[in-house]
Amino acid sequence: MAGRRGTNPTTYSPSLKTQKTRSTIFKDDWVRPDGRGFQQCRPAFFRTSAVTAASGSAYAEFGNTKVIVSVFGPRESKKAMMYSDIGRLNCNVSYTTFATPVRAQGSDRKDFSSMLHKALEGAVILETFPKTTVDVFALVLESGGSDLPVVISCASLALADAGILMYDLVTSVSLSCLGKNLVIDPILEEESYQDGSLMITCMPSRYEVTQLTITGEWSTPKINEGMQLCLDACSKLANIMRSCLKEATTTSQE
Amino acid sequence: MVGLSLGEKNFIQGGIAQDLRSDGRKRLTYRPVSVETGVIPQANGSARVRMGATDVISSVKAELGKPSSLQPDKGKVSIYVDCSPTAAPMFEGRGGDELSTDLSVALQCCLLGGKSGAGAGIDLSSLIVVEGKMCWGLYIDCLVVSSDGNLLDALGAAIKAALSNTGIPRVLVAAGASGDEQPEVDISDEEFLQFDTSDVPVIVTLTKVGRHYIVDATSEEESQMSSAVSISVNRKGHICGLTKRGGAGLDPSIVLDMISVAKHVSEQLMNKLDSEIAAAEAVEDDS
Repeated sequence: MAGRRGTNPTTYSPSLKTQKTRSTIFKDDWVRPDGRGFQQCRPAFFRTSAVTAASGSAYAEFGNTKVIVSVFGPRESKKAMMYSDIGRLNCNVSYTTFATPVRAQGSDRKDFSSMLHKALEGAVILETFPKTTVDVFALVLESGGSDLPVVISCASLALADAGILMYDLVTSVSLSCLGKNLVIDPILEEESYQDGSLMITCMPSRYEVTQLTITGEWSTPKINEGMQLCLDACSKLANIMRSCLKEATTTSQE
Repeated sequence: MVGLSLGEKNFIQGGIAQDLRSDGRKRLTYRPVSVETGVIPQANGSARVRMGATDVISSVKAELGKPSSLQPDKGKVSIYVDCSPTAAPMFEGRGGDELSTDLSVALQCCLLGGKSGAGAGIDLSSLIVVEGKMCWGLYIDCLVVSSDGNLLDALGAAIKAALSNTGIPRVLVAAGASGDEQPEVDISDEEFLQFDTSDVPVIVTLTKVGRHYIVDATSEEESQMSSAVSISVNRKGHICGLTKRGGAGLDPSIVLDMISVAKHVSEQLMNKLDSEIAAAEAVEDDS
């Protein structure tokens, strides 16, 4: 025992395994940290009715990204609000304190909240619940990259679970541009090195884009290619979500 | 919100369909743009841009700071927009806050490029003084003085003008500082470095009304929109950022068509803006 203790280092030294240099990404034989192909999404997992108190809720897990979304309502709009003959959608996205590698104050993400609102408002048939408000609360339990697209897809599943009328499920996929490569559904590490990003939110059955965000420098053919990749991934994602909804209804009927 | 009668709504929509808008412009014509630089003496650079009745001021302040540990070779740039309730009563309280964050996020997305800094209009590496220890932080603050639609394009133009007006003091680093010590610096108050703004993109917002899209929409026209796409294009004709507003969905082919239209329009806007900025600088130098 005593000899073994002697050989071990007595002080704790954290290993710097996650520190990678940027140059590795530009090599031709670069493989993604989780071994996926460039145009391969992470396996998606969805489960509805994750929260019993909510009118509808959903839990989604894409690799290390884990989010939970609850939908409450429709409830009466606050008295202070002006009269409106269409319904209101109130969206909020927040992170837990332990969601990110560096502990952050569990804060509201106002920018994400407004993006979620913009992505969903075109899909929800707001005319069906006048004078009322539907609350969509999203919580990111673990941030593993592509957080906002996962939140948006999960939120539309939660809305469907709550029985809110929608034109179509909303799915969202993002893509990172690393050097010359387009990498779909990036993880946190890839996102931190990205030269540009493209996020599409769409209604696959209607083939309509409800939200689109591009950052970084892009040429038109590249945007074209990126959009096509994302749209394909969106329609595949919609199939997974639809089968999840079907599964939930068949098990509840039994 | 703009209160319009049914007749007025039809008039606006009909005019756009016939390529003759209510103020006599065509669908892809901007309102006259006027630029004034150096309007705020306290700032390192500032500009005021007017497009019709839309009036915005942008100021750039540079402060020395420490670069973030994740990106030791890059300076910092932050963009904030303030929508004052003096411009419109709806900017008071929550409505103004929401619009301010929306505009700030859109501007950051359009001007600052990807996380690695590639494709950014502002070259972050040029802001570094001592790698890992000291860098310039640029604080770009914009104020909406008066709003008559198309705020994002006006703000983008104002930032471009303010940056070209910005002089950053030359910094002399005292040799011999090593290790973890903060290096001693001497900030010159005579020598200024001009900022290279040739790569800063312009933002073109295409507002879709009915089946057509228009540039530089007034607030009356904006109230009739189904969706709006803001595209920032640099001189090389590359897209540097894109955001969408408005609920209605768009067909992917329409998005691509909008991008090509925006590219075409951005060339004219870029040239017009450059000559306006040059004229404004000349006026400032004379006085």
